[in-house]
Formats: sequence, structure tokens, C-alpha cells
Amino acid sequence: MTLVGLDLDYVACVVLFCVGLYMLVAKSNLIKKVLGLNVMETAVFAFIVTSGMIDGGQEPIVVAGSAPPYTSPIPHAMVLTGIVVAVSVTAVALALIAQIHAHYGTIEVDELKELP
Amino acid sequence: MRVFALALVLVVAATMVIGIAGLPPHGDPDGPVHTHVGARYLEQGVAETGLRNLVTAVLLVYRGFDTFLEVVVIFTALVAVLALPSATRQPPPSRDESAAASRRDTDDAVPVSPVVFLVVRLLAPFIAVFALASLYRGHVTPGGGFQSAAIIGAMMIALGLVFGREHAARLVPHGAKAWLQALGPLVFAVVALVGWRLTGAFLGFPADEAAHALREALVVILEVAIAVGGAVILAQLFMALDAPS
Amino acid sequence: MTTLGPTLLPWLVALPLAGAALVPIVARRDARWAGGFTLVVALVTTSLASVLVAQLASQGPFSADLGGWAAPYGIELHFDRFAAWTMPLAALFAFVIPFSWRYLDATLPRERWAPFYALMLLNLGGLLGFSVTGDLFNLFVTMEVVSLSSYALVAVAGRGVAAWAALKYLLLGAVSSLLVLFAVGLLFALTGSLNLADVSVRLAAAEPSGAALLALASLAVAFLVKAALFPLHVWLPDAHAIAPSPVSAVLSGLVVKVGIVGLLRVLQLAAGTGISLEPLNTVLMVLGATAIVMGAFLAIFQDDIKLMLAYSTISNIGYIVLGIGLASPFALIGAFVHVFNHGLIKVTLFLAAGAIIHQTGYRTLSDLRGVARRMPQTAAAMAIGAVSIVGLPPTAGFVCKWYIALGAFEADQGGYGFALVFGALFIFVYYVRMLDAFFFRSPVRPEVADAVEAPWSMRAPVLVLAAACLVLGVLGGIPIGFVEPAVVDLLAALGR
Repeated sequence: MTLVGLDLDYVACVVLFCVGLYMLVAKSNLIKKVLGLNVMETAVFAFIVTSGMIDGGQEPIVVAGSAPPYTSPIPHAMVLTGIVVAVSVTAVALALIAQIHAHYGTIEVDELKELP
Repeated sequence: MRVFALALVLVVAATMVIGIAGLPPHGDPDGPVHTHVGARYLEQGVAETGLRNLVTAVLLVYRGFDTFLEVVVIFTALVAVLALPSATRQPPPSRDESAAASRRDTDDAVPVSPVVFLVVRLLAPFIAVFALASLYRGHVTPGGGFQSAAIIGAMMIALGLVFGREHAARLVPHGAKAWLQALGPLVFAVVALVGWRLTGAFLGFPADEAAHALREALVVILEVAIAVGGAVILAQLFMALDAPS
Repeated sequence: MTTLGPTLLPWLVALPLAGAALVPIVARRDARWAGGFTLVVALVTTSLASVLVAQLASQGPFSADLGGWAAPYGIELHFDRFAAWTMPLAALFAFVIPFSWRYLDATLPRERWAPFYALMLLNLGGLLGFSVTGDLFNLFVTMEVVSLSSYALVAVAGRGVAAWAALKYLLLGAVSSLLVLFAVGLLFALTGSLNLADVSVRLAAAEPSGAALLALASLAVAFLVKAALFPLHVWLPDAHAIAPSPVSAVLSGLVVKVGIVGLLRVLQLAAGTGISLEPLNTVLMVLGATAIVMGAFLAIFQDDIKLMLAYSTISNIGYIVLGIGLASPFALIGAFVHVFNHGLIKVTLFLAAGAIIHQTGYRTLSDLRGVARRMPQTAAAMAIGAVSIVGLPPTAGFVCKWYIALGAFEADQGGYGFALVFGALFIFVYYVRMLDAFFFRSPVRPEVADAVEAPWSMRAPVLVLAAACLVLGVLGGIPIGFVEPAVVDLLAALGR
């Protein structure tokens, strides 16, 4: 739906992206930063899937009883791959945070900056 | 930092909203998304690929190289975690250590209520069956390799949380671990090679009607490799991350 | 024979990636086999790249349609003159691998050797894929393979300090990757296609829209983060200095160029769309010039040689970006040849520094005084690298910087020529400091006074690469002549 010429679904994705960006930048706890990154990633996935939607459509699986219009399958494939990439980044980030915690004893950026 | 974050966020939001306004409204059947490449996939996908789930068709047949890179990415994550000092090295559980192991199990496990313990134990086999069904039905319903991998991986992680790391680690046979982890990229490379020999194109699938069964077999092999490889990698990622001291 | 190129092209990417998957399996019997196996894969990949370059030279650019689906219905790989840098890229990896054998002996416990080598091959495969792909989403995924392996490689040998540097790199890198994905989503929503050439044509045919501008801007910002252009460079010094030396060589010499290749893709996307690149060019020129001067200036104050080399990378990226922003034939040719030349020189320098650190245990100029007396060959290699990066003839660095300077005057932007001169002066100062400390001072540390040359598996790559710096200085016209037609075509497409 549109409001003042803006596609509200897209705007919702932008808002979600900015919430995640705020978490990433403003929070001091490293895990919260990684969560913010995940929220940003989810926002971009939502944006991509939304772009593939079609009015009155159904999922792009052609079986008996299904009829066009179908949503576009390309965004779904993109997001599936994107989710796997996001999981991979999160895994590496968590491993690094575990290493930081083992060495410094803290995962708060405020405290990490104080240390030599 | 808060002020800077807020200012940055507002600038980014404004920029993105202005840019988004230039997009064609989503949902319009005449938009570029539905009339170009996507339209060809929808019209000819079933005939060209033999798959009814067109998302799987895009993932494995039309854009198989991206999916190959995707299994490489998750493999990279595992190798990355294994390369870092935070990864613990689990010795293979041997028979005589099983007594000591069962003691260590409960030390390592997250203390949960008996209800959670029982529910996880009861549900685990059903979850595994659901994942297998999702894999099997993935070409006619939503589902497929990655979805199954995520479900089985989650099941193994839940078991690891409740029973302790070492107990859950036995779900993945230690000797086969290195092969199972690498299953995604390796099977893709092999299928790509087979496709190369048969059609001259990397990751090509034989197109003629007679090779229909072979094409289906290749797709199933890829899906299984994605599911098994992905599940093992997800479980390994969990097992390898350091326990809090 | 004409289909040899397209047939082999996908394997250029698939081989190192499949090889990486095999490394842990190969290493199960003996971890040392991992290093040898990795070298074999790197050499095979280099040979493959050479065959492809030979095909390119004899028959012109070619494309491979993966799966047999013609673009834009499938993924297309494209091998043109810019993609030819995959050959030196793979070759440089092949030099770094044997260097790592003894280096890892000292820095990494045996059970982590296999993951290290696997990460190196994944990094190589990702870089190759990124350089040859003609598909936007493929660009994103290959970039992620490179980034993920890089984050882990930074932290692999250190403790918390390295992990912290790697995490900062990761957070900034993940945001930039997300910007790329967002841009790909925008471009898909605008054009319905993911093929670079197809998207460019469709954008040109459609009415100008803010969304296209946002997409291109997002891509540009994301790639400038990856390239560590000022002011988005903050992640680089710590990450490159803390990483183990073979990793620093790869990161500074090769991975950082992902941003430059990405920027090239942005230019190719924008070509023909009527979107003016002037604002981007101005930004690139200003930031590039600042990076040249600032990077070099900060390098002067570093005592740790690896931090010095890291700031030098920031400065040299400034050169390349300035050349791209100037957008004149000489400048662009100089910039793209410098992508490769700087890679060669930086790998030489980091490997030589790594050898010195490995043998003496020290990393700072004050501690390493007089090391040239005990490790003359390695120090000589470092001197050659230093002269190359300052840009004196007859070394590899001279030709490209000369071309960029000529390009500045060609584009009536002579002011930037002065940034180049200042930068060169500062660079000269810090490398003179380094050479003075190594060659003309007496050792202060007993480990330096008693040091011996590095073992052959570490020394040979360093010496051969240093020789290559000289050879490429003398033969500098060859890469220039090779890149020139591609640059002319690009500029024509951009309407200049």
C-alpha cells in the first residue's frame, strides 16, 4: 500500500534497517552489536522478498490446483543464500567474541577501550 | 556515541526513503521484476528443469553456481571457527571413556527442568523426520536442502544444550566428520564435473527428455548433500565454539 | 580451440574452492600434507589462469554461461583484460603458501594448520570468483567468501587482541556487504535482472530514478570501505598489522583490491545510464589525495614495521582511487596497473618483514637495527620493495605512479599532481628511516646480532618476488600496453 507516494512495505524495511543500524552503532555490548547486524540483514532480506511479491499471487510452485500469478522465485533464492551468508558471518563473529571474552574478560566496548 | 548513532540513523533513513521512492510499486504484475527474467522462469521452468518448485529450480538449475558458492560460504564459516583458538578440540569419545564422558555430559549441559529434558528427547526423532520430509517433498512444496539442514542442525544443537556437548557430538561419526563437513562443496564440484562431461557446461543438466531421470537424480543428490553437509556444519559450529570459562 | 576459455573459466573459481574443502581431509593423516596440497592447488590454479590469459591475448575477451543458460537467465562469467589480473593474483598466492610452511611451524599449533590453509584457498577462490563474475548476486556471494576468510585469517594466530581487530574489521565489513546486497536488491527491483551488463542496459533505457542513484551510491560506499579509502580506513591498520605475516601480505596486497575491482564494476554499471559520475569522481579525487598524504604521513611515525606497511597500503590505495577519480586515460591505466604492482610489492615487503620477525622475534625499527648485517638477502629484498613503493625507476612502482601523475596534468587537475609529490616525499622519508635502521645502525638486540637468514622455504619466495619487482620495473611497458585497450573502451563507454 502506498502513503504519500511511498510504498509502506518498503518503508517498513528501511525502518527495520535503521533500528538494526542503531543497535550496531550505539550498543556497547558486542553481542548486541551482532544482533543489530542480524536485524539489518533481516531488513534487507525483507526488502528483497517484498520486491518479488505480486498482487493476488501465490508461491512459485506449479502443482495441480495452482495458477498464475506467481510471486517471482528469484528473490526467494537470493534471500535463501543471503540467510546462509548471514548465519556464517554471525558464527564467525561469535567465535571472535568468545576469543575476546576469554582474553579480556569482558565484551563491552566501553571496557575494552579502557584496556591497554 | 548515542547522539552520533541517532544522527547517522536519521541520515541513512532519509537517504534510503528518498531512494526507495524511485522504485516501481511492488506487486505490480507489469513491473520489471515479473516481466523479465522471472517471467521466463515461471513460464518455462517446469519444462526446462523438471522441477515444480521453481525456487529450487532457480537455486539448483538456473543459478546453481550461486548455490555452490553458498555451501562454500557456510563451509568457510566452519573452517574459520575451527581455525580460531576459541574452538575447543573434542577428543573422539572412546569406549572406556564413556563412563567419564557421561559424567562430563551433565557438567557441560545447560541445567534445564525435567519437562524440557523430556520434551527435547521425545521430539527429536519427530523433528528429524520432519526435516527428512521437508527434504523429500522439497520439489513440490516449500522445502529443500537448506531448510532441512537448518532443522536438523537446530535439533542437534538443542540436544547438545540439553544433554551436553560430547553426547550430542556422537551424532556425527568422528571418522567421517571431515568428509561430511566438506560434502556440500565436494558434491557440487562432482555434479558440476558430471554436468560438464554430459553437456559441456559447468553445472549443466542434461536437457533431453530421455535424461529426465538422470536430471532428477542429480538434483536429489545435490539436495541431500546440501542438507547433510549443512546440518553437520551447523552442529559442528555449535560444538566447536568455546564453552564459557 | 575457441571454446577452451569459456569451458575452463568456471574451473578457475571452482578448483581452489573444492581444494579448500579437501584440505581438512588431506590433513587427517598428517597436518604437514595440508601445506603441500595447498601449494599444488595454488599452482594448478595459476596455470589455469595463465591458460585463460593466453586465450584472452589470442582471441579477445570471452564469457562462460554457467549451466548452459544464456545470460541473463543464468550466471555469466566474463574474462576481459581487467580480469587478467587473476593470473598474477593466483601466482602471488602460490608464493605466499610455501612461506607459510615454516611460519606456521612457529606460530600455530598443528591442529589448526589445515583450517588455515583451507581459509587461504577459500580466500583465493573468492578473489578469483569476484574478479570474473558478471552477475550482481554472484558478486555479493564471492565477496562474502573473501571477507569471511579474511576475518578469520586476521585472528588465527593471536589471542584477544587479534580477535578484537578482526571483529572491528568484521563489523564494518559486514555493514558494507549489506550495502552491496541492498544495492543488488534495488537494482533487481528496478530492472528484474541480476546480470551486470543487462542491468546496465536496462538502467540506461529507463527513466532516471533516485533508486538507481541510491544503488550506485551504496555500492560505491561499500567498495570504498573494502578498499579502506580514507575516512573508511580505520579497520585496516590494526587488522593488517596484527595478522600473521603471510596473511598481511594477502590482505594488503590482494584482498583490499576487492574494493577497487568493485569500484570498476560500479563504473561499468553506470556507463551509458546517463547518471553523471562527476560527483563520484570528485569525491574519489579528494579522498584519494587525502589518503595518499595522510597514509604516508602517519607511516612516518610508526615504529612497528607492519603498522608502517599497513599505513603505506592506505596511502597506495589513495593513489589508485585518485587515478580512478581523475578518469583520464593515463590516470586510469596507471591506477589499474598499480592494482597489480602494489600487490606484488606489498606481498614482497610483508613476506620479507615476516621473515625478519620470524628470525629475530622483533617487529619494531628500534629493535631491528642492524638486521641487514645478519640477514642481508632478506634486507636487500626489503630495500628493493621499499624503492619500488617509493616509485623510483627502474622498479615496478615507478611506471604506475608516473602515469597517474601524467593523468593528473592531462585532466587539468594539476593540483592533485602535487598531492602525489608530497605523498612520494613522505613515503621516501619513512622508507629511508627503515633502510637506515636496517643497514646503517649497529644491532642493539642480541637476537638481532645473532640472527641467521630465514630457511629456504621462506627466503626463496621473498627473493624471487623482489626480483620480480625489478623485472617489472624494466618491463613496465608490458602491463601498461595490456591494460590500455580496456581502459580506452571503458572511457568510451563512460562517454569521455
